[in-house]
Amino acid sequence: MMIELESVNKIYNQGQPNEVQALYDVDLVIEANSMVCLRGASGSGKSTLLSIIGCILPPTSGRATVAGKQLSRLPDRFMTIHRRQTIGFIFQQFNILPDLTVQENISLPLLPLGVSPEERRMRAKVLIERLGISHRQNFPAGQISGGELQRVAIARALINDQPIILADEPTAHLDTKLSKEFLQIMVDLKKTGKTIIIASHDPLVTEKPEIDRIIDVTDGRVDVS
Amino acid sequence: MSPAFEKHLNLLDYALSSLWRRKMKNLGIITVFAGVIFLVASFQILTSSLTSIAETMLAKTPEIVVQKMSAGRQESIPLSYLNRLDGVFGIRAAVPRIWGYYFDETSGANYTVMGVERNAMPEGQRLEMVIDGSYPDAEPGGAALGREVAANMNLAGRRTFSLFRPDLSLKTLRITGIFAESTNLLTGDLLVTSLDDARDLFAIPDNLATDLLVYVTNPNEISTIAKKIAARLPDTRVLTRPQILKTYKVVFGWRSGFASICLLAALAAFAILAWDKASGLSVEEKREIGILKVLGWQTTDILTLRYWESLTVAGLAFLIGCTAAYFHVLFLEGSLFRPVLLGWSVIHPSLKILPVFAAGDVLLIFTLSVLPYLAATVIPAWRCSTISPDAAVK
Amino acid sequence: MRPTHSLVLIILFLLILDTALYAHVRFQQETVQRPAAHLNDIVTAGLGLTDLCLATEARYTRHPAVSDPIAPFMDHLGAMEHFPTGSFWAPPQD
Repeated sequence: MMIELESVNKIYNQGQPNEVQALYDVDLVIEANSMVCLRGASGSGKSTLLSIIGCILPPTSGRATVAGKQLSRLPDRFMTIHRRQTIGFIFQQFNILPDLTVQENISLPLLPLGVSPEERRMRAKVLIERLGISHRQNFPAGQISGGELQRVAIARALINDQPIILADEPTAHLDTKLSKEFLQIMVDLKKTGKTIIIASHDPLVTEKPEIDRIIDVTDGRVDVS
Repeated sequence: MSPAFEKHLNLLDYALSSLWRRKMKNLGIITVFAGVIFLVASFQILTSSLTSIAETMLAKTPEIVVQKMSAGRQESIPLSYLNRLDGVFGIRAAVPRIWGYYFDETSGANYTVMGVERNAMPEGQRLEMVIDGSYPDAEPGGAALGREVAANMNLAGRRTFSLFRPDLSLKTLRITGIFAESTNLLTGDLLVTSLDDARDLFAIPDNLATDLLVYVTNPNEISTIAKKIAARLPDTRVLTRPQILKTYKVVFGWRSGFASICLLAALAAFAILAWDKASGLSVEEKREIGILKVLGWQTTDILTLRYWESLTVAGLAFLIGCTAAYFHVLFLEGSLFRPVLLGWSVIHPSLKILPVFAAGDVLLIFTLSVLPYLAATVIPAWRCSTISPDAAVK
Repeated sequence: MRPTHSLVLIILFLLILDTALYAHVRFQQETVQRPAAHLNDIVTAGLGLTDLCLATEARYTRHPAVSDPIAPFMDHLGAMEHFPTGSFWAPPQD
């Protein structure tokens, strides 16, 4: 088991007038080396669920175990360390820093780990070649196309060899052809042993035959099918 | 290289390249900051150099100066007072001197006219060594001029000039020599004549002098003897060598303190600017921090990053400002401060001085500049480093 | 080259410049100032000088060591500021 949630609740602004409960008693198990899709409309609690699985937010109550560590007990510092060891993120907006070059963006997670510039370049180069963006290596990220940005985001999620890849609406800004390419990369990654979790309501994703499981999120509740 | 060290290098690299990405803004800040430090440091160097110069140059100042006071003013002292000093044990010599100021109407300059019996003075016989020419006591009517006086008189080769006595009759003097350039800070505005010529020029009666210089046999007893003199001559003011030497510490301490307070206002304004700049985080900066945190950067990493940025800006500004200030005093004679330092006098001796910049001065300027900047940026840096990653990414 | 190396180079350059300036001053002190130091002693002792010739506009700036603290007000009642020197206002000319 890679991820296990037991009666997880998430309440924002607890005890304040603008208190909002985003998740209600979520129970969820995601096996290692599986490829699952979280499906839900915006505001359904999908992003909150992704944040908890991604070790960005601790649950308000309940138990969340990711890659063998129980999150609610981890102080912020250790949650950060656990996050960078286990989770690779791919965001809807890509969240690439436009002023840095492609290679610099990809190696950002390695800076606080004390990895030397030569090794950073080497490790980034391997991924850049694997994802076919070698010709863009030294371009500022602000000057490359959306599909290339997506690949930069994927490379960045893989740089630390994390076992779990989280993708939040990855196809929202891509056309059909690029979306299919993206999914193919994910399928290939799954074959290398990664656990892949994609939050999306794009039929291209949900109808992909390689998806092991679709998890529907509605109004903060999870319906496992 | 250890990973911890490599990590700091990486963060410093990142800090530098993000400073470089906003180079117009950051170079502007460094320039303004270096400018403020330059002003503070120039003033500090100039005043501490002058203090130390005064200390060394005036080391051989008279041991005791006796001035007669009347109704709160200094006035000429009767020579008969010399007799009243006779009984004070420990006095080696008491020398009457006539000196005062001569206002040159045509140029508006003040000269210091000094008449002294050189044979009675310590080192008096060696005065020729500092004069390019001869000492003006060989025959009446001679004068030795400071370089600034000679330049100001516009002599154009003439060897004589005339000054007005108080009754507007003319007294003609012949130039016997010019003081050496290396003594300019002491002799620049001097016009030295024999005692009799000075008396004649100022029309001071034969029984009076401007002040008395007293020399003692044992320098350790200066203050004891000064007290004895003060007791014998109650209508005089008795100044001792330590008091005279202390004046310049006080004067320049006061001057630089005064200037520092003015400049502190500039520093305070700069600190407010730095605070404002560092606390008003733009949306892009917030987003960048959020992204870095999601990617596994710790709060302390972000804090370190900001700290390196501030330290780079402040450190570079400090080094550049201090270097420029040293340069300014050494090669440009502190020309930016000349109008402030030299006031409305006409004679401006050159401030060709070798700067004295002690470790204490460096520390003072560091404390007044870099530390406030770091303090002004550290709290905003901490505030932005604690941005929650999920808030920034959404 | 890493950005850190550039910074180190810049700082090194400034420090070397500072060291050179400092060395220059020390050299001047040894070769120019020290040999002339006894000349200053002679003129100070020989004429009984008490003050540096820095600001010559009035007795209280030319000879601060031997003039009264209230001299400025005796000389110029309107001398608004007389210290460090009359930098900004000259005394009123009647």
